[in-house]
Amino acid sequence: MEATTYNYKVVRQFAIMTVVWGIVGMLVGVTLATQLIWPELTYGIEWLSYGRLRPLHTNAVIFAFGGSGLFAVSYYIVQRTCQVRLWAEKLAAFTFWGWMAVIVLAAVTLPLGYTSTKEYAELEWPIDILITLVWVAYALVFFGTIAKRKTKHIYVSNWFFGAYILTIAILHIVNNLELPVTLTKSYSLYAGVQDAMVQWWYGHNAVGFFLTTAFLGMMYYFIPKQAGRPIYSYRLSVVHFWSLNFIYMWAGPHHLQYTALPDWAQSLGMVFSLMLLAPSWGGMMNGIMTLSGAWHKLRTDPILKFLVTALSFYGMSTFEGPMMAIKTVNALSHYTEWTVGHVHSGALGWVAMITIGSMYYLIPRLYGRESMYSTKMIEWHFWLSTIGVVLYIASMWIAGVAQGLMWRAANADGTLTYSFAQVLNTMYPFYGIRLLGGVLFFSGMLMMAWNVWKTVRIGRVVNDAAIPQAVHA
Amino acid sequence: MDSGTISGIVTVVFILVFIGIVWWAYSKGNKQRFEDAGKLPFGEDDAPTKQGDKQ
Repeated sequence: MEATTYNYKVVRQFAIMTVVWGIVGMLVGVTLATQLIWPELTYGIEWLSYGRLRPLHTNAVIFAFGGSGLFAVSYYIVQRTCQVRLWAEKLAAFTFWGWMAVIVLAAVTLPLGYTSTKEYAELEWPIDILITLVWVAYALVFFGTIAKRKTKHIYVSNWFFGAYILTIAILHIVNNLELPVTLTKSYSLYAGVQDAMVQWWYGHNAVGFFLTTAFLGMMYYFIPKQAGRPIYSYRLSVVHFWSLNFIYMWAGPHHLQYTALPDWAQSLGMVFSLMLLAPSWGGMMNGIMTLSGAWHKLRTDPILKFLVTALSFYGMSTFEGPMMAIKTVNALSHYTEWTVGHVHSGALGWVAMITIGSMYYLIPRLYGRESMYSTKMIEWHFWLSTIGVVLYIASMWIAGVAQGLMWRAANADGTLTYSFAQVLNTMYPFYGIRLLGGVLFFSGMLMMAWNVWKTVRIGRVVNDAAIPQAVHA
Repeated sequence: MDSGTISGIVTVVFILVFIGIVWWAYSKGNKQRFEDAGKLPFGEDDAPTKQGDKQ
């Protein structure tokens, strides 16, 4: 018998965990920002040292918070735009429990110091294998659902999700090819500059396909839905999709400017990064222009504010990124706080805000309600987040440029003008402002948790929602 | 063939692929198809379900 309902259960599980992991990951972030000001904060306990918590923070916010959000929305959108129930629901349930197991294992092993040392791929080989299994299951469920769709076309969001699922599978496997020595230690199959290039081919495409392509899929569904009108130009979204994915794949070498990487590869990375500006801004304009004729909604609808502000930060960071990839700019910016600011402009401004906006749309629907418990609280959350991000990135810009200039300053006899400690000392006020920005953003997440809790309490769990019987081609 | 020639050929091929994609996306024959696809999120009623599984 053909299913007459959508599977909301797995969507709901991932949606709730998005909020939970967002809070955990950002709390670790706030802790790290505090440690940079007061290094003795955690009394020298090795498990809570900066070096161990830092990968925990990045893994938690990217893969636990962002990842859960993506599982939730991709399962929701693929069902609703294909008008069929998820294919292989047991596998879908496995992706939830498997992904949670990966996160818990990460939260245990990283503070204990087990790491493969590859940035954003620190987890050791047994966890890598589990990730691979979950991801293959995810791909089967997602593409299986697309294959049995009742609609004629595949909506653009699903194209973006499909590209993300495929690419992350390839990136994860290639970058984590390693020789296990013991259960908890392995060595990369690559060595030297090849290892660095594979790592940053992975690293930048984790940004490109996990943090960009996938969240664009989110944008292409929730902005039209919340604005109540179709995407500004579907044809532009088609060009956006192919050009963005094609160009992103080549931009990785910009992480290795002025290293042992051959010069031509560095230049190639720079040129492709500059080209990325075009599809990135094309997509941003497409999203923002969707509101043309409905701009007034921005005044009253905090969910739309989240979604559109996210796009604005996306535009800002995808302008900043190509600029920073220019070799001469990179000579100043690389290894400084500017990079940290850039990452958070993307991660908090774009990824977190588009996710938060989408969750505020999604969660009431998963609990049979018209809207969240408190719209006013969403408004507060919006302003806390926005001010938090602005404080964060502005302080890191100033800190980063100051740091870069002080590091390169030289006396007439060629000696360095400033010692490392002097530069560090200059950073303190900016670290303070950054901490304040982070705390504001984090407190917004706590408000979200409260709001979600109240919504869940007064709502009803919707495990299955009806599929419309008339097929709209 | 030196690397400069290869770069040149690759660049030309990439540009042709890009032009091909733009031509395909904006061709008259595909107008209706993409407009239909753009309406997919609105092809159904997604008002919140009233019948929850449990209170």
